[in-house]
Amino acid sequence: MVQALNRALNDIMAKNPSVVILGEDVGVDGGVFRVTDGLISKFGPERVIDTPLAEIGIVGMSIGMAISGLRPIPEIQFQDFIYTAMDQIINQMAKIRYRSGGEYTCPVVLRAPYGGGVKGGLYHSQSGETYFAHTAGLIVVTPSTPTDAIGLLYSAIDGNDPVIFLEPKRLYRSVKEDVPDNVPKVPIGKAKIIREGDELSIITYGPMVPTVVSTVQKNNINADVIDLRTLVPMDRDAIIGSVKKTGRVVIVHEAPRTLGLGSEIAALVAERAIDSLLAPVIRVTGPDSPFPYRYEDYYVPNEKRIMKAIKRVTEEA
Amino acid sequence: MEMEKLTSAEKSAYIKAFTAMVLGRTLDKKIVNAQRQGRVGFYTPTMGQEATQVGLSMSLGREDFIYGYYRDVSLLLHRGAPMEAIINQIMGNSKDVEKGRQMPSHFSYKGVNFMSVPSPVGTNLPLAVGSAYAFKLRKEKGVVVATFGDGATSTPDFHVAMNMAAVFHVPVVFVCENNGWAISLPVEKQTETEIYKKADAYGMKGILVDGNNFLEMYKTCTEAVNNVRSGGGPVLIEARSYRMGAHSTSDDPTKYRKDEVKEGDAKDPLIIAEKILKDLNIGDDKLVEKIKAEAQRIVDAKFQECEKIPPPEPITAFQEVYSKNTWMLDEEVGDILD
Repeated sequence: MVQALNRALNDIMAKNPSVVILGEDVGVDGGVFRVTDGLISKFGPERVIDTPLAEIGIVGMSIGMAISGLRPIPEIQFQDFIYTAMDQIINQMAKIRYRSGGEYTCPVVLRAPYGGGVKGGLYHSQSGETYFAHTAGLIVVTPSTPTDAIGLLYSAIDGNDPVIFLEPKRLYRSVKEDVPDNVPKVPIGKAKIIREGDELSIITYGPMVPTVVSTVQKNNINADVIDLRTLVPMDRDAIIGSVKKTGRVVIVHEAPRTLGLGSEIAALVAERAIDSLLAPVIRVTGPDSPFPYRYEDYYVPNEKRIMKAIKRVTEEA
Repeated sequence: MEMEKLTSAEKSAYIKAFTAMVLGRTLDKKIVNAQRQGRVGFYTPTMGQEATQVGLSMSLGREDFIYGYYRDVSLLLHRGAPMEAIINQIMGNSKDVEKGRQMPSHFSYKGVNFMSVPSPVGTNLPLAVGSAYAFKLRKEKGVVVATFGDGATSTPDFHVAMNMAAVFHVPVVFVCENNGWAISLPVEKQTETEIYKKADAYGMKGILVDGNNFLEMYKTCTEAVNNVRSGGGPVLIEARSYRMGAHSTSDDPTKYRKDEVKEGDAKDPLIIAEKILKDLNIGDDKLVEKIKAEAQRIVDAKFQECEKIPPPEPITAFQEVYSKNTWMLDEEVGDILD
């Protein structure tokens, strides 16, 4: 996925001279995960900007750049470090269009690696998507495959709204696929049905997608597997359509359970498809604790926990 | 004051400046009164900062971009924003460009490159650095100006913006309108240094100027702005004035201060400006009175006119959140307006 993102950024920067990249170590170093590797030598230090260490500045400058006609793609080195800039994200980025009566817009694509998988402990592993999803004015997306990473990035940069682009860092180097030469845009707000089945619907996104898919394959589960890809606005029709077909729902995400995206999905299902439900909706999520260093594997949902949830909803009469 | 040979362009510029200050003051008092009568919801008086704002505005060009703050009424007026735009925003009526979405005093007016104001202080400063970066990248002539009160200088955003502006050597002019108070906290209790001296630590020039004197302000800002425009890097200007009014119409300053500068005092920027006009033989009492009377007439008329404008349609409160409404918002609004 790192290579795919790098390719997309290369492409986007070559096509549009208004695109700039900024963040900590994104230039000379090519980013700590190498997503921006080589861009500085191609596009120069004015467009691939190594910034001082201050997320308020990275995000704040990006907002100003966007207001003044650039197309900034800031990188926050780890999503965990974004919180000092939350005021900029919530009170500025998300509200520029609204509060200026549409006179100014804020097309920033903010990239941030999130989730566990690199033995990063409390401060290099968080899944904070709910914080962004709860703020009107932000689009929130997260790819689970290299091809989707490219397609979503194309859509994000072509849009006119601020986008929080969350990259599952666990998948940076663990998922590989042949990426076609011409990758089409992945539309914002469209989920992907990865597998089709009749017995239940498993709704997931980002870093948990490969775990869910391998669990389903290995255990021959007859399930719809939905990769949301866009968290805001969520693909209501894909979710409800599937639930009406299967009547059973398991939601899998890595973020803590309380008010995680699973809560919203469950509410959506309850409001629109409760008559179709044959069993309780079950969430398999990270626990409501900080993300631990040593016992990372206990925190992140795994095959065992997903199977337990599947059994529970399918064995229910 | 030393007598100078003034060109007629300078003379009319000074009269225009004085006029904008008087209009700002007159409008300010009108709005405060209207608030007391329940005709306006809220307001942050700007009285005492007219010279700072007008002197700054005189040094700027049309191409320059302003990240202002919620007291910049005189700056807006001098820069050419129509008075109706200010009053419509205060009233949140259907002609307000912000469509009644923001509290009064949070102006936005693209026509004069004045970016919409947020409430959290200091948070516009990093944006100004970003805009200035864009100007520099595209090799445009404009400079970016960020205005803010003394209170903003305690925020992390101030520090980060100053640092990054200097590191990237971008054309941004930081103007601290130091009116002495962050609501109830006097500037002496906000910082152990003088504000303009902070510039030193970031590697940029810091300038102290008398913000009560529009001419001083104009001259100092012109030199600073020209230097920034010609690639000299960012600058911090501290303009000292005095917040003659309350922080806002919800604030009672008698709880924390005795008013040290009152309207008509020697330090009142309008009194100083009057004296400047007279010393320079540009105007006399008659002209001053004429400008004041005309300002009152304009403010009364515009205010009355704007009060007749109907409120925006309720649905506008739920639009322009995104380039296209989400299905969630459409559904929610449908329910609210059903």
